[in-house]
This record gives sequence, structure tokens and C-alpha cells, in this order.
Amino acid sequence: MPTRRRPAVCLLTALFVLPAFAQFARITLPIPDTTSAINSPTPLSQRVVAYNMDARYNAKNHSLDATETLTYHNLTGQPLDSFPFHLYLNGFQPTSTWMREGKREGTRGQNFATWDSKSFGAEEIKSFEVVGQGDFTTQLQFTHPDDDNKDDRTVVEVRLPKPIPPDGYVQFKIKFHDQFPETVARTGWNRDFILGGQWFPKVGVWWHGAWNCHQFHAYTEFFADFGVYDVKLAVPQNEVVGASGIEVGSVNNPDGTKTVTYHADDIHDFAWTASPHYLIYNDTFQGSMGPVKLRIMMQPGHWSQVERQARVLKQCMDHYDRWYGPYPYKTLTLVDPDPGSPAFGMEYPTFITGGTTWWEPEGYHVGSAEAIEHEFGHQYWYGMVATNEFEDAWMDEGINQYTQNKVMNSIFGASTSVLDLGGITGGERDLARLFYIGVADLDPMAKNGWQYADNNSYGGATYGKTALMLLTLEGVVGEDTMRQAMHMYFTRYRFTHPTKEDFLKTIEEVSGKDLRWYFNQAVYGTPVLDFEVLKINSTPVEWYKENLKEKKGDTEYISNVWIHRRGEFIIPVDIEIKFDNGDKVREHWDAQDRWVRFAYQKKAKLESVEVDPDRRIQLDRNNFNNSRTAEAKGAPARKLTNYWQCISQFFAQFLAWWLV
Amino acid sequence: MSENKNLISAGAGIAGRNKRYVVWFYLLNLAFAHFGAATFNDNAHAILDHSLHADKLLHGFNLGVFVELMTRPEFGALSGATHPAMMFAVVFFLASLLFMPGVLLGYASDHRLPRDEFYRACGRNVWRFVRLFLLFTVIAGIVASILFGVQGALANAADKTSNERLPFFVQLIGTTIVFLVLTVIRIWFDLAQTEVVLRDQSAVRKSIASGFRKTRCNLGRLLTSYVVIAFVALAVLVGGILVWHAIVPPSSVVGAFIVGEATLLLLLAMRFWQRATTVAFYLRELAEPIEQDARFPAYAKTLTQSSAL
Repeated sequence: MPTRRRPAVCLLTALFVLPAFAQFARITLPIPDTTSAINSPTPLSQRVVAYNMDARYNAKNHSLDATETLTYHNLTGQPLDSFPFHLYLNGFQPTSTWMREGKREGTRGQNFATWDSKSFGAEEIKSFEVVGQGDFTTQLQFTHPDDDNKDDRTVVEVRLPKPIPPDGYVQFKIKFHDQFPETVARTGWNRDFILGGQWFPKVGVWWHGAWNCHQFHAYTEFFADFGVYDVKLAVPQNEVVGASGIEVGSVNNPDGTKTVTYHADDIHDFAWTASPHYLIYNDTFQGSMGPVKLRIMMQPGHWSQVERQARVLKQCMDHYDRWYGPYPYKTLTLVDPDPGSPAFGMEYPTFITGGTTWWEPEGYHVGSAEAIEHEFGHQYWYGMVATNEFEDAWMDEGINQYTQNKVMNSIFGASTSVLDLGGITGGERDLARLFYIGVADLDPMAKNGWQYADNNSYGGATYGKTALMLLTLEGVVGEDTMRQAMHMYFTRYRFTHPTKEDFLKTIEEVSGKDLRWYFNQAVYGTPVLDFEVLKINSTPVEWYKENLKEKKGDTEYISNVWIHRRGEFIIPVDIEIKFDNGDKVREHWDAQDRWVRFAYQKKAKLESVEVDPDRRIQLDRNNFNNSRTAEAKGAPARKLTNYWQCISQFFAQFLAWWLV
Repeated sequence: MSENKNLISAGAGIAGRNKRYVVWFYLLNLAFAHFGAATFNDNAHAILDHSLHADKLLHGFNLGVFVELMTRPEFGALSGATHPAMMFAVVFFLASLLFMPGVLLGYASDHRLPRDEFYRACGRNVWRFVRLFLLFTVIAGIVASILFGVQGALANAADKTSNERLPFFVQLIGTTIVFLVLTVIRIWFDLAQTEVVLRDQSAVRKSIASGFRKTRCNLGRLLTSYVVIAFVALAVLVGGILVWHAIVPPSSVVGAFIVGEATLLLLLAMRFWQRATTVAFYLRELAEPIEQDARFPAYAKTLTQSSAL
């Protein structure tokens, strides 16, 4: 009888089950399902965290005191009894892993030849409470999962006596104090400007059955869960403030400060900036999910460029909207950081930093236009498709470099998308090649970001090689297919943390091709791709005849063409052979062997041979040896030598002018 | 102002009458630069002559392709191209040091200076010019170091403001001041060199003292003349670049060579114009009679006649 058995069931439950649950901390504090900051009636991400922060910035000593209430939703499917937190600002200390790597390799244009006390940054936890479990301030332990640097304090861990059950919530109340560095990278102050990035204790990501919370490294960036942010920021009243999300309030305080309140939905980081000098330019972009309010915070000296910046930004947003998917947030803030500050060119959700100079000419796209494009692109490849920037840097920087290539070429032209000044030109592809060719065989793309050989190899593989790999892939699967694949990848994985295989399999799925042969070489390996036209010749068929008189159109020749695969990278390739009577022959070579010879018998001599005439293979390390003409053309070398000679003469005259 | 104008035009007249010096110096520099660019030329030909990719450098100037070329291992280290060019620049400087006495004597002469007199003046003054050069580098080096140090400190101070243009204009004004001060020192030593040659002054220190006095007493006239000519030189340089950009097609090697070399020739002429201006000034200001040296009657004759200028 069920009814008669109920007391027994209840008793058994009370005796065995409840004690088992009692070891879990049971708090029901759901993550808010607000949507006021997005153009969507429902949340866009599976929200794991809700940060509620109340911060007060001291502009005189560039410090900040704050309380953070973090609600964490355990969606891991298993109990959690430990939580790691990033304390990124502790990276700006002389013994940190970040600084050791920066000293060893240099980062963001700095080599730390000497230690400058202004570079010091710190993030100190004053108190750490787990709601319902007590104060754990003294039990926090610094960990260093990536190296054996005991002095690194960028990851701290708390162990809870009562685990958080699956689908349970835990709330942390943290008081902390920040000391911002003078901007050495991404975050900090410069004169009276401040950019607050990586400024609060931030919980790691449970990913693939374990916590993923890496130390702060000199090159690598960040990784975090999506959620909701409500931030109150008190700053001096003369400061102009900007931040991630939407501004929901601003009140002046009696002590000469003002408190600005921001709210953001479905983002995974929160950054802010303040300076008394910003001039604000407001605009709107009509995206496919709704209007996006653009807020451009310019330095006064750069105001003349604000319309250009707005134009480029909207062009970029339009391309991304059409090609990859909609930008769903209601705001985008573009910050022009203090001149000379290494806070330029950085991405945070709904908040990007560009950077320009007062003299920047129109054709100099590699400056602010490229920065705007690149950082806006990160709203997609990092902001929404939130890959692990520590372990898969190529998936945010490289994929972004690829889409930057496409968008910039579309806006400014393929050969002038970087530079178009006084007859000197440069395109995005050329730029990507320069990143890559010097370090082509050092590291694979698929590698932890902090384990690259050096700064150049990191940049070459994550930015340059990835862009070239994807451009070359266009040649394999077709440009339209590639765009469809990128669109599919974005729509399928936005607001998630995809892996490299998620990306690669999407391309295979959309293209309908098995591309492992390519990915194994280009993504997971380091073979170098380099074809060359080894040699060419044309010999008269009747070469043995004495007094043979060759006559164009009459004499028959045997022409031979040798193509050599110098590198280990194998990829099928087309070859175009031109003859001096105008004939063209196209050959296709699978490149499985190291070399191939093509022979022709024609009443024409070879004029030129070109490997990959359609320029589909962008990964080729050396483009100069991809073709060979029968006749030498001295004009290019003479032109360059003339330039060189003119510069030498000028230098000599300048020297003599002043010294004699 | 009219005195300045006269001085500048007198200098132009002297330099114009002695165009051959400019041409010879230009040809010398051209030859040296040709030798200096030989390695670059060989490397460029080896990579580009049979490559279709080189078209991106011929029909335009793709900076990415150029940098890619320079980083090719087969192009060799960049120093392999820059070192010879720098070495020949130094050789041109030494040649200028060697032959400038002859030029100054030729400028002071009212007739075409015979070749043997030219070379004799060069030989006789070579060690004096070396000493003048060394003293110039010491004095100009110290002054420039101090001025650039002050400029750097001011620029750093200006950099503390959020006004991005302030450091730029501090640098610009600082560089202008350094340029003017170094020009004054250059005038001083140009006058000393002129005196060494025209007076056959073996005691270089006396010429330096004399040059200093003359510069101090006539600073406005001399500096104005030099600065005006420098501005003309700047205009020539800018004009040359504009003509190159506007008229010469990217693939025209000959056109680029002609415009480039014409610009360099005119720039060189500007410096000779300055030197001629100094000679004209010196001859005008020559108050003391020239002591005739029995060993060099031609000097005395030349100077006596020229002092009437």
C-alpha cells in the first residue's frame, strides 16, 4: 500500500537522503533572465554567472575598491567543491609569470628593459565570503597550473566544505582592492585616462570536465562564462565614463563623485574607461536584430577623425551582419585611448578600443581603420563565439584576422586594404604573409598560447598563419562555401565555448569534404608549403642538325618544365604554362611526389611557367619562386636598385652637407 | 635684407660660374652610390629577374612584397646591402673633405682655376680640413647632444599632457632650433675653411677664431642666407618627390632615374650655393690685406683680384 508505506519512505529519506544532500550548499539564486541590453526578448546564452559589483575608483592613485557579488550556477552536471578565480592585475608584478614572459620576449611593443614601479598592478582580496558557508579569506590559495612559478598570484582557489550540487547555485561576496598599473598592456592608467580591464576577481570556466583557469600570460588573453553584469562605478564627477553594456543610471554624490550604473546581458567580461577629456559621438547602426547605439569616445585631438571612424565601424558592422550573423547587443562603445597608451586595439564585450593619431592620413588603413575592424570582429570571434583564448588563440585572433582580411578587402580593395599612400600599397594578405613567413615552421596553430617559441611565433601562427590557412582553404572548398561555413559556425556556436574540432568539423560539414589531410598539416602540424618552378627549357626537336636556324612559329621545340615541392606540406596545385605563340596550358599536380616534370612538343618556346596562377594557395612561404620566365626581365630589379641608389646618394650628400 | 639678397645672389653667381664642381661632385657621388648599390642590385636581379611576382614591384610598389623580398634568405642580410652603401657614403664624405679646398679656391677665383692649382690647394689643405672637421664634430657634437637632450626632456614633459600635438610641436620647434644652431656652427666652420684656404692659414685655430668673430658679427646676414638656401633645398626635395609621384609612371625606370638624379643634383647644388655665399661674404668682408706667399703667387693674385667683388 503506498499510503501505508509513506511514513517509512519519509523516514528512510530523512535518514539517508537528506544527510547526503545536506553536504551540498543549497541556495536558490537564479541568474537573472534580463534582456534589456540585447535586441532579443529572451536570453541568448546559457547564463552561468551573474556579477554584481559596486566599485569606487580613486583617480589620484589609480586604485579601486569594490565589492563583488558573484552568483554561479553549477551547470557542470557534477558537484563542485572548489572554485578558481583569476586575479589578472597581479600579473603586473616583477615576479609574475606575465612579467617574466614579457621580459623574456617582449609584449605589445615593450621589452621591460628596466622595472618601472609605475608598471605595478595588484588585485588584493580583502574578504571572501561564500554565502551560507562562511568566510574563506584566510583559506584562499594561489595556484599556478601552467608553470612552477610560485610567485605568480594570478590564480587563486577556494575549497568549499560543502560542494555545490549539480544545477545548484553558489554566491560569493568578495571585497577587493585594485591597484592599476600605468598601461603596459590592455589595462591601466595613462596620465588621467584609465581603462579598467581584467579588474575584478573572475571565476574560471568548467570546461571538458575540469576547471579551466590559466595564469595570466604575456601573450594569451582570456576565457570566461557568459552571464549578466550589473556594475556601479563611482568616479570623480569630471570624468566621462564608458563601459560594457548599457548605462542605466548616473547620479552625482555629495563627495564630488558620481555613480554610473551599467547593465549587460549575455557577455563574459566587463570593461570600463574614464577620462575627463573624452568627446562623445553618438550614432546608430541598424542591425538585422535591431538598432545598435554606437558611442564613440574620442580624444579631443582626434575629433576631426570621428566621422571617418564611425563610417568604418558601420561598414564593418554591416559586413559582419550580412556575412556572418547579427550583432545582438544594443550598444557598442568604441574607445580612442589616451595617445601613446598601450590600451589601444583591445576587445571586450560590446566595448572596443581603437587608437589613432591626429595626423593619420586617409590612405593609412593599417592604423585606426584596421584596429576598428579587428576589434569589432572580436565581438564575433571571442565576444559571442567565446573560444578559449589561452589554449586556442588562433580561434579568436586568427579567425578574426581572416574575416578582417575579407572585410577590409571589401571596403578598401584587396591590394590597398592596408596602405594606399603616395603610390605605396599594401593589402591584408601581404600583411598576414609578413606575420607568417619568418616563423612558418616553428609552431603549429593548435598549441597553448603561452607555449609558443616566442612572441613572433605566437603572432605568426595565431594571426598570420591562421588567416592564410583559411584563405587557402577558400581555394580548396570555394569562397562561397567558406562563407557559408563561417556563417554556420557563428550561428551554431555563438554564446558557447567551441573547440577547434567544432570549427574544423563545421567546415567539413558545410563543404561536404574530408579535409583532414589539410587540417593535419595546416592546423596541427608545422610542415612548410613552398612550391618552386625548378627550371624550364625549350630545345629544338632537330637540335642535332648543323646550322639549324630557329624561326618563330616554324621551329618545333621540346619544352620541359620541372616543378619542385620544396616544403613538406602537400596540397594539389595548378600550374600554368605559357608559350611564346600565346598558347596556355593548365596542369594539375597532386604534389604527392617531391617534383614533377611536364613536357610539351610545340612550334613555340616556353615563355613562362607559374605555379598556382589563381593565387589560391596563400600559405606558400615564397611567392617569388612560384614562377619562372624564360627571358630575364631586369626592370623590377633596376627600379628597386634605382630607389636604393637614390637613397644612398641622398644619405651621402646629407652626411657631406653637414660635416664638410 | 638687400644685403642678404646681394649675398645670396653673389653666391648664386659664383656657384653658377663654377657649375662644373657641382657636376663633378655629383658624378662622384653617383659613381660611389652605384658601387654601394651593387650588392643590392645583384641580390634583387637574382630573385626578381625571372619571377612574375616581381610585377607587383614594377607596376606599382607593394610594400608587403618589397618587405617579403628583403626578408628572403637568398637576398642575404639587409646589412649586406646597407653596409656598402654606408661605406661609400663615408667615402664620398672623405672625397668632399679632400676636394673642397680646391672648390673654395675656385670660387674665390675670377677665372677658371687650372687643374694643378685646384689639386695643389686640395693637397695643401687636407690636414687642415681634417683638423677642422674633427673640431667641428667635437663642438657640434657637444652642442647637439645638449640641445637634443633638452629637446628630449621638454618632449617628455609635454608628453605628460593629453594634448597629443604638444609633444609633436615641441619636437618640431626643438628640431628647428637645433637645426638653426647647427647651421650657425656650420657657417662658423665654413668661414674658417674659407679662411684656411684663401689665407693659406696653417694655424687652424686662428681661422676658427676668425670664423667665430665673423659669424658672431654677421650672424643675421649669414644665417638668413643659409636658411633661405636651405628652404630652397627643401622645396627642391619636395618638388622632386611630387614630380616623381605625379609624372613618372610606376614602371618607368628611366623616368624615375632622371627625376631622382635631377633632384639630387639640385640638392647638391644648394650646398655649393651656401659655400659660394660664404666665399662671397668672406671676400667682401676681407678688411686686412692678404699677405702674399711667394710659394703660391696664384693665390695672392686670385685673392687680390677677387677682393674687389
